[in-house]
Amino acid sequence: MTFLEALAAGFALVAQWESIFFLSLGVLVGVFAGAIPGMSATMAVALTLPFTFALTPISGILLLLGVYKGGIFGGSIPAILIKTPGTPASSATAMDGYPLAEQGRAGEALSMSLYSSCIADFISNMALILFAAWLASFALNFGPPEMFTLIVFSLTIIAGVSGDSLIKGIVAATLGLILATVGLDFIGGTERLTFGTVELRGGINLVPMLIGLFAIPEIIAYIRNPAAREQRVRALGHAALKWVDFRRSLKSIFRGSAIGVFMGAIPGIGAAPSAFLSYSEARRNSPNRDNFGKGELEGVAAAEAGNNGVAGATLIPLLALGIPGDIITAIIIGAFMIHDLTPGPLLFQNNAQIVYALFLGLMASSVILLVVGSIAIRVFRYIADIPPDLLFPAVMVLCIFGVYAINNSIFDVALMLVMGVVGYIMLIFRFPAAPFLIAFILGPMLENSFRQALLMSRGSPEIFVRGPITILFWCLTILSVVMIIRATLRAARLKREAARSASRLEAQSKT
Amino acid sequence: MLSRRAELFVGLGVIGMAAILLWLLIPGYITIPRRVPIPALSPAFWPNVIGWTMLLCGVLLTARAVTAPPPPDSIADDLRFTRPELLRVGALAVVLVTAYIALPIVGMVWTCMIVYFLMVLMTGAKRPIWGTVIAILLPLVLFYFFTKVAGVAIPQGRIVRLP
Repeated sequence: MTFLEALAAGFALVAQWESIFFLSLGVLVGVFAGAIPGMSATMAVALTLPFTFALTPISGILLLLGVYKGGIFGGSIPAILIKTPGTPASSATAMDGYPLAEQGRAGEALSMSLYSSCIADFISNMALILFAAWLASFALNFGPPEMFTLIVFSLTIIAGVSGDSLIKGIVAATLGLILATVGLDFIGGTERLTFGTVELRGGINLVPMLIGLFAIPEIIAYIRNPAAREQRVRALGHAALKWVDFRRSLKSIFRGSAIGVFMGAIPGIGAAPSAFLSYSEARRNSPNRDNFGKGELEGVAAAEAGNNGVAGATLIPLLALGIPGDIITAIIIGAFMIHDLTPGPLLFQNNAQIVYALFLGLMASSVILLVVGSIAIRVFRYIADIPPDLLFPAVMVLCIFGVYAINNSIFDVALMLVMGVVGYIMLIFRFPAAPFLIAFILGPMLENSFRQALLMSRGSPEIFVRGPITILFWCLTILSVVMIIRATLRAARLKREAARSASRLEAQSKT
Repeated sequence: MLSRRAELFVGLGVIGMAAILLWLLIPGYITIPRRVPIPALSPAFWPNVIGWTMLLCGVLLTARAVTAPPPPDSIADDLRFTRPELLRVGALAVVLVTAYIALPIVGMVWTCMIVYFLMVLMTGAKRPIWGTVIAILLPLVLFYFFTKVAGVAIPQGRIVRLP
């Protein structure tokens, strides 16, 4: 199938009312879910996943991508209105968004957030379309040794940037890897860690695991302390954004989008560093730098551009290499799996029409987000007011129905509840969930490519340095490990100094 | 930031998990074929690599907890459960375990109605009327979506069956 044929077939798939309807529904659900304090884009995508299997592949995946895009923008709403960022990336938005809300300019902050989100999202989608196919055609030359070294490289980045403790990140990744080994061994067909349970022979199902990991801990945390979720929502104020404010922020929006695209394309970096880098660059270059942190619209624009610039770019490694760049794309893999599609270079070869339909759908999602956001911006205040004592029990019911529906399995409900407890324990002991989930997804690929390579070479490890690609990935892995160790040591030193000075202050205040 | 005691507990916990994996689960629950031509192709090879990595991380976490200066009490996170918190989380655990057992007997719709209502009660039941209405409607809507639209056979139980 040529490029034009694939594009035409993709257009035919997307230009159906079902596709546009489910994409719009996804954006709407995402914006609403992101706007509810305590819900996040991640949880919204995880909860929507079970509903996609009744749909066609393209409608299902577009629904999820819509939730993803809408959820990222929606996360800025509680950040601005009640200083409760739905995601770490929205913290940068809260830095100027909340002071604006305190000044009665929440509507302007939300409008700026919407426009910069849509522009950054559009630029990010363009980058995806330009680079994903090129990267996938390059990756078609990868054999098992190249794939193995690529995954090792991806794992080092993901383990390194996923939390404030590198060791806890690695422990979380090892937990994910060990759970990925459960099931029948793919070479010998013997049982591994199934404990004689028939349901575990096919391995641990991804969907119950990720819903358990991301939704149930939030419910447990709410039940433990319901008072912690009670927040005061700020008034919206005047919603229209002045053209002059928008025009002077354009430079920061484009810079933030470029930062987002670059950082999103590297697996594991995620939206938070991108949003903060974009914010700090905007502050450094802005003539209004003194106003940053006190209620500056350009600050909101920069943070949101950095945040949303990641959204399309993070799909580049997912679609081209099959490697999820962050938690949400790891969940989106679940939707591909439900429909027997495997993201990676072969997807471009075997299902090119679906890939191009996704590209076109993503482009449309930026426009839909603009429309949905503009209409809904006035009711956000009421969404943020949804009482958590009615919301969280509803999330639990959705989890039970959704998880059961995937495989018609009550065992999966038990699995979800167990994973929820594991997720809550990880939450309170500060273990990051991202390396756990990403390692769980990459684990089988890592092990299979390792063993296939060894079978090819009849046991000779030299196959792992057989050509320039493997050597390049080993070099990148070593570089990444060195940088991670340096950053970790520096962070540990700063932490020690902070703890020492806090101890000194405490001792002084006692005397 | 966790206290030194909590970090020590985490480190020892990870060591314990790694030990269970290496010396209990891998020998007991991974079937290794009699003839494995290359040791790295054994089904136990990866789990062993992962287990040893976990053990090393546990040792490092424990060593860090022992050697690093502890954070002052004012900034250390308090992980202790208060009595009401413990009661609520305990009640949630009982409700969920009971619900799991009841699912095939009572049916998913009725079980979820009760779970929803009990969870509303656990958090103080500030809006009992809304809580009751949603407890009834939400499982019914989901039931009709999954059975009629998605074609999934939602467990109906043996007591009251829905059309």
